[in-house]
Amino acid sequence: MTKNFAIFPLIILLTIVSLPIAVMYGFLILDTFTDAPPGELWPDRFTLAHWRFLWDPSVVGNVWKAAGNSLILAVSIIVIVVPISSLAGYAVSRLNLPFRRFFLAGIMVMHAFPAVTLLIGVFFVLKFTGLYNTMIGVILVKGSLMLPFGIWIMKGFYDAVPWEIEMAGVQDGASRLTVFRRLILPQVKPGLVALSVFAFLDGWGEYLLPRILAPGSDMEVLSVFLNELVQADQLGYDFNLFKSVGVFYTLPVIILFVLFQNRLMNIFGGGTKG
Amino acid sequence: MTFTATRTALTAALLSSVAFGAAAEDYTITVWAGGSGDNATYRWEAIEMAADQMEREAAVRGEELTITVESQAWTGWDDFKQAFTLASEADNAPDIIVSGHEDIGPWSEAGLIVPIEDYVFFDSYPLNTIYPNLIDVASFNGQIWGIPQDAEARVMYWSIPALEAIGWSSDEIDSLPERIESGEFTLYDMLDAVKKMQDEGVLDANMGFAPRVSNGPDYWQFYQSFGGEMSDEDSGKLVVDTAALKGMYQFFVDATEMGVVSGTHLGSEWDVWHQNAASGNYGAWHGGTWHYAQWTNQFGLEDFFNTVQYSLIPAGNDAGRANSITHPLVYLVTSAASEDEAVIAAELIAKASTPEINALHAVKSAHLAISEDETTVPLYAENRWLAAASERLAPSTNAIPNNSDFGVYWTAMFDGLEAAWTGVSSVDDAVAEVETTVKQALGDDVIIR
Amino acid sequence: MSSSADLNTGVARKSRRSDRRRPRISGLGLALLAPALFLLTLFFFAPVVLTGIFAFTDLSTSTGIGRGQYVVTPNLLRQLGDQGLTEDDATAIASVSITIDEAGIARATEGGVDPDFLSEIADRFAGESFDDPRAFSRELRGLPNAPRRPRELTQTAEYFETSVLNTRFDNPEALTAQLADVAPDVSSDTIAWIVDRSYTGARFTTANFERLATQKETLRLIGNTALYVAATLGLFNVGLGLFLAIVLFYTPKPVTSFYSTLWLLPRITPLVLYAIMWKWFTWEDGFLPIVAEQFGLPSFNYMKGSVVTAWMTMISLNGFIGASFGLILFSGALRAIPMQQLWASEVDGANRWQQVRRIILPQMRWPILFVTSYQTLSLLSSYEQIWLTTNGGPGRTTTVWALEAFTTALSNYTGNLQYGLGAAMALVLVVVGLVLSIIYLRLFKFGELVSRPKIEL
Repeated sequence: MTKNFAIFPLIILLTIVSLPIAVMYGFLILDTFTDAPPGELWPDRFTLAHWRFLWDPSVVGNVWKAAGNSLILAVSIIVIVVPISSLAGYAVSRLNLPFRRFFLAGIMVMHAFPAVTLLIGVFFVLKFTGLYNTMIGVILVKGSLMLPFGIWIMKGFYDAVPWEIEMAGVQDGASRLTVFRRLILPQVKPGLVALSVFAFLDGWGEYLLPRILAPGSDMEVLSVFLNELVQADQLGYDFNLFKSVGVFYTLPVIILFVLFQNRLMNIFGGGTKG
Repeated sequence: MTFTATRTALTAALLSSVAFGAAAEDYTITVWAGGSGDNATYRWEAIEMAADQMEREAAVRGEELTITVESQAWTGWDDFKQAFTLASEADNAPDIIVSGHEDIGPWSEAGLIVPIEDYVFFDSYPLNTIYPNLIDVASFNGQIWGIPQDAEARVMYWSIPALEAIGWSSDEIDSLPERIESGEFTLYDMLDAVKKMQDEGVLDANMGFAPRVSNGPDYWQFYQSFGGEMSDEDSGKLVVDTAALKGMYQFFVDATEMGVVSGTHLGSEWDVWHQNAASGNYGAWHGGTWHYAQWTNQFGLEDFFNTVQYSLIPAGNDAGRANSITHPLVYLVTSAASEDEAVIAAELIAKASTPEINALHAVKSAHLAISEDETTVPLYAENRWLAAASERLAPSTNAIPNNSDFGVYWTAMFDGLEAAWTGVSSVDDAVAEVETTVKQALGDDVIIR
Repeated sequence: MSSSADLNTGVARKSRRSDRRRPRISGLGLALLAPALFLLTLFFFAPVVLTGIFAFTDLSTSTGIGRGQYVVTPNLLRQLGDQGLTEDDATAIASVSITIDEAGIARATEGGVDPDFLSEIADRFAGESFDDPRAFSRELRGLPNAPRRPRELTQTAEYFETSVLNTRFDNPEALTAQLADVAPDVSSDTIAWIVDRSYTGARFTTANFERLATQKETLRLIGNTALYVAATLGLFNVGLGLFLAIVLFYTPKPVTSFYSTLWLLPRITPLVLYAIMWKWFTWEDGFLPIVAEQFGLPSFNYMKGSVVTAWMTMISLNGFIGASFGLILFSGALRAIPMQQLWASEVDGANRWQQVRRIILPQMRWPILFVTSYQTLSLLSSYEQIWLTTNGGPGRTTTVWALEAFTTALSNYTGNLQYGLGAAMALVLVVVGLVLSIIYLRLFKFGELVSRPKIEL
C-alpha cells in the first residue's frame, strides 16, 4: 500500500470513536468480579460476591425461574415465527396469489414500522381473546410483530434458490408441497437457522410486551426481573450486582452471537431496532 | 400450534371461573398493592393474618372455611395503576387492591370497584373506630367505597446542624414549627435561610432545598401554600387558582435562580435523595412521615430527633397557609370478585383493620394510625416519631379531592411545573397552558379563578 | 445470502420474466399464507383499525372500555343543576323511599331471603317508611334473626327500597322506567336528557384532534421528535455508520472484524441491561462524571442533570444501536464496488480522502437514502430506550411524540389512562408512517422487489 493508505492513524481514530462502547462493555465484565473503593473506577480487589445471586435467592429472588420463563418465551417465539414465516415466505416467493403485490407492500411497511405504537389496540385484541395477562398472549403478540420481518427474510432466501431445482422435482411428478418439503426447505436451511437465532435473541431481550401485557403473570421474565431490581429505591444502587445479573442474562445472547455471528451479520441489516 | 394454544387458554379460563362457583367454602383471594416497598409488606400480610383469623373463627363456629391469599406488590404507581386498570378491563383483576384514595373517582365511575359499604357494617368494631375524616376520604358520590389502610402527613424537614451553623439559637430552631404554622415564617424565608447555608459553605451549591424528586401529592402542598384550593367545597368542582399556581411555579423558579435547588431536580434519583437526606447534606427537604422508616432502617440515620427538625410546609404568601397533605391508601374490593368472593374479601379487609393489625403496618412503615384506638396500641404508642408527627402535623392535614377528573388536572399541573422549573416555558405561559388544558378537557366542570 | 441485503438496499436488479399468460391462483399458496394472515390480521390490522376508532373517542380509565352503563350519581345531579335542572327535580330524583309493604315482602321471598327473618321484618315494621337506607339497615340488624353477613342484610334491605341514585343500569330503558317510578313529576324530556347524560361509557368525539391541534405542547413534541430523529440519524445511523464502514473497509481483516463485532454489541445487548450500562456510564459516581471530575470538568448526573447532557445521552445511546445498522448496510455496498476502480485510482495517485470522495461516496447514495428512510420510521416510533433512561426528563425536555402517546394512553403516575387521546397520537404516527412508507416504496422501485414468481405451473 502507498503512504496515503497508512493504517495506523485510522486505527487510532477508530479506537477513539469506539472508546465509550469498549469502556462500557469492558467494565461490565470487570465489575462483576471485582470491587472498587467508593468514587473510584479502578477495582482494587477480586471477589465472587456479586455472583452470589446464582445460588442464594435471598439476594435478588429466584433468578433461575425468571431465566426459565425467558427461555420459554424465546423458544415459543421461534416456534411461531420460523414455521409460519417459512411457509408464507415460500408462498410469496414462488406461488401466484391474489393481491400478492399488495400483501408484499404491506409486509414491507409493517416490517419498517415497529408496531409498539399500536399497543393500545393490541391490548384490546388480547382483552377480547382473553389472553391479557398471560404469557401465551405475549408470545402471540411478539411472534406476530416479528412475522413481517421473518417473511421478508425468508422470501429473500427462497428467491435465491435456483428455480431449476423446483422445476426438476415437479417434472418428476412430485406435488408442489413435496417439492417444497423435500427439495426447497433444505436449500434455505441457513435462513431457517439465522431466523431462529434472531427470533431467540429478540424474544430473550423483549421487555416492553411482558411488562405491559402480562404484569400480573407468574411468568416473570428476566428482562422484567432485572429492571424491577434496578427500580427498587430502597436498596441503594449496587451497579456491580446489577451488572452481574445483567451478564448472566446476556450470556446466552453472547454465546449465540459468537456461534452464529456471520449469519446474523446478514440478517441484522434488516433488523428493526432503532 | 397457535390455535391449540389459544383454545387451551380459553378453556382454562372457563374452567377456573366455574371452579369458583362450585367450591363455596374454599376461596382464593388475590390482593394487589401499589407503591409498596420493603417497609409496607403489611398491606397484604394484614390480609393474610385476617384470613387466618377468619378460618379460626369459622372453625369455632363449626364451619369449614379455607382462604388462600395470593398477593402481588408493585413498588411504583404507574405500573400498578396501569396493570390494575388493564386487568380489570380484561376481566382478570384481583379481588382486593390497595391504592390511593383518589383512584376511587375514576375507578368507581368505570365500574371497576364496588362500594364496600354494601359488604361491611361501619357501625361495628373495628370500622366504627376509624377516624370519620378518613372515612370521608374513602367516600365518593355519597357512597363509601373503601376502607382506609393508612394515613400520613407530609413534612418539611430541616437540618438542625445546618441551622445552627448559620447562627440560629436553639430557641429559634425549637420555635420554627410554630412560626411556620402561624404563617410568620414563609417559603421565601426558607429560601433565604438555605441560601445562607450555601453561602457560608455549610452546604454545597444546589443542596439547600431538596423537594421530592418525582410527581406526588406533595406538590399540591405548595399550591395550597400560595392560597390555592383544589376543589370547591360547595359545588365539588375542581378549582384552578391561577394566582396560586403562578405563585407556586414562581417559587420553584426563584429557588432555582437563587441556586438552592437545581433546575433539573425533578426526575433525579430517589436513592441519591434518600442518601443525602439521611446524611444531612440538605438544608431543608420535604418528604413523608414514612420516609423516617427508610432513613432510620436503611440509610443509617441514627440521631433523628437531635439532627432533624420537622414542620408543616410553610405558607408562601399572605393568601396561603402552612399545610400538609395526607394521602391515605384504601383497601378496595373490585368488581372482578364474584359476589361470594366480594363478601369474603370485604370481611377480610374489615378484620385487617383492627387496631393491633394495622399498628404493625403503621409502625413498620412510619404511617399514621387510622383510628383513635390504634394510637393506644402499645407498639404504636411507644413510637416517638409517630406520636410526635401525629401531634404536630396531623391536625393541619387535608387530602386531595376524590374527583374522577382530578387526574387530568394533576397531570396538567405537574407538566406545567416541570416546564416552568426546567425553564422550557415562562411561569405565565405554563399557567396559561394548565388553564387551557384543564378547561378544554373538563369544560364547565372546573372553576378557573 | 446477498439477496436479502440487496433487497433491503433497494438496488436489486432482477431479470423480469415476461409471462403474458395469467397463471391461475395457487390454492396451496393461500393455505401456506393462512397462518401468517391470521396472526397479522389479529395483531397488526385489528390494532390499527382499533387505534383509528379509539382516536375519535374520549375513552379513558373513567369511561372504561366496552359498553358503559347508565347511572345517576349525586355528582351528575350537581352538574346538571348548573345546566338547568331544577332543584325540585333534582330532589325528587335523589329521593330514597323505603316502605315495608306486601310487595316488598313478596320480592324478598322470591329473592330467597330467610323466611323467619322476613316475618320478623313484617311484624316489626309493616307499613312503616324510612328515607335513610343506613338507618333502615341498623334497624334490621337489631332483629333476632338478622343474618350475620352484612351483605345479606343490605340485599334484604334493597327489596324494600325505591331509589335510582347510584344504581347501575345496563340499558337506558331500565333507567328511564326507574326514573319515572322514583320521580313521577319530572317531565319525560328532562328524564331523557338525564338518561343521556348518565351514560358512563365512552362517546365519539373529535376533541382529541382539536386538542392536539391547538395545544402548545404539540409543537414542543414535534420539535423534540424532529430534533431526536434528525440528530440520531445524521450523527450516528448515517454519519457514524458511514464513517465506520469506510474506515473498516481500509483496515486489515482482524481489525475490521474486531470493531464490527464491538459495534454490534449494543444491538444484541438486551435493552434493560443496555439501559443499566448507560446509567452506570453517565450517573454521578459513574464513569464519565468521575473522569470529568479528575479533569476538573463539571461532574453530575449527565443523563438527568441538565437538558443539554440529557439530549446528548439520549441521542448517543440510541445512536450507538443505530450505527451498526448503517455499518452493515454500507459495508455491504462498499464490498460491491469493483476493486479495479479503487486500484486504478491509487495508481493515479489519489490519496485516501480523494478516493473516498470521488469513488466511494457517490456509490453510497442509495444505501444512505435507504438507511435514512428506514431508520426515520424506526426512530419516529421507538420510545423504549428513552422510557428506560431519561424517561423524557429532566422536566419534559426530552419527551418525544411516541413516548408521550405511550404515557398518555398506558403509563402515567396518576393512573389516568387516556386511551382515546393516546390513540389519536398513535394514529398520527401511523399516518405519518404510512405516507413515508409509500414514498419510500416508490423511491426504491418496489415493483422490482416483488416481480412475479418465477415458477408457476
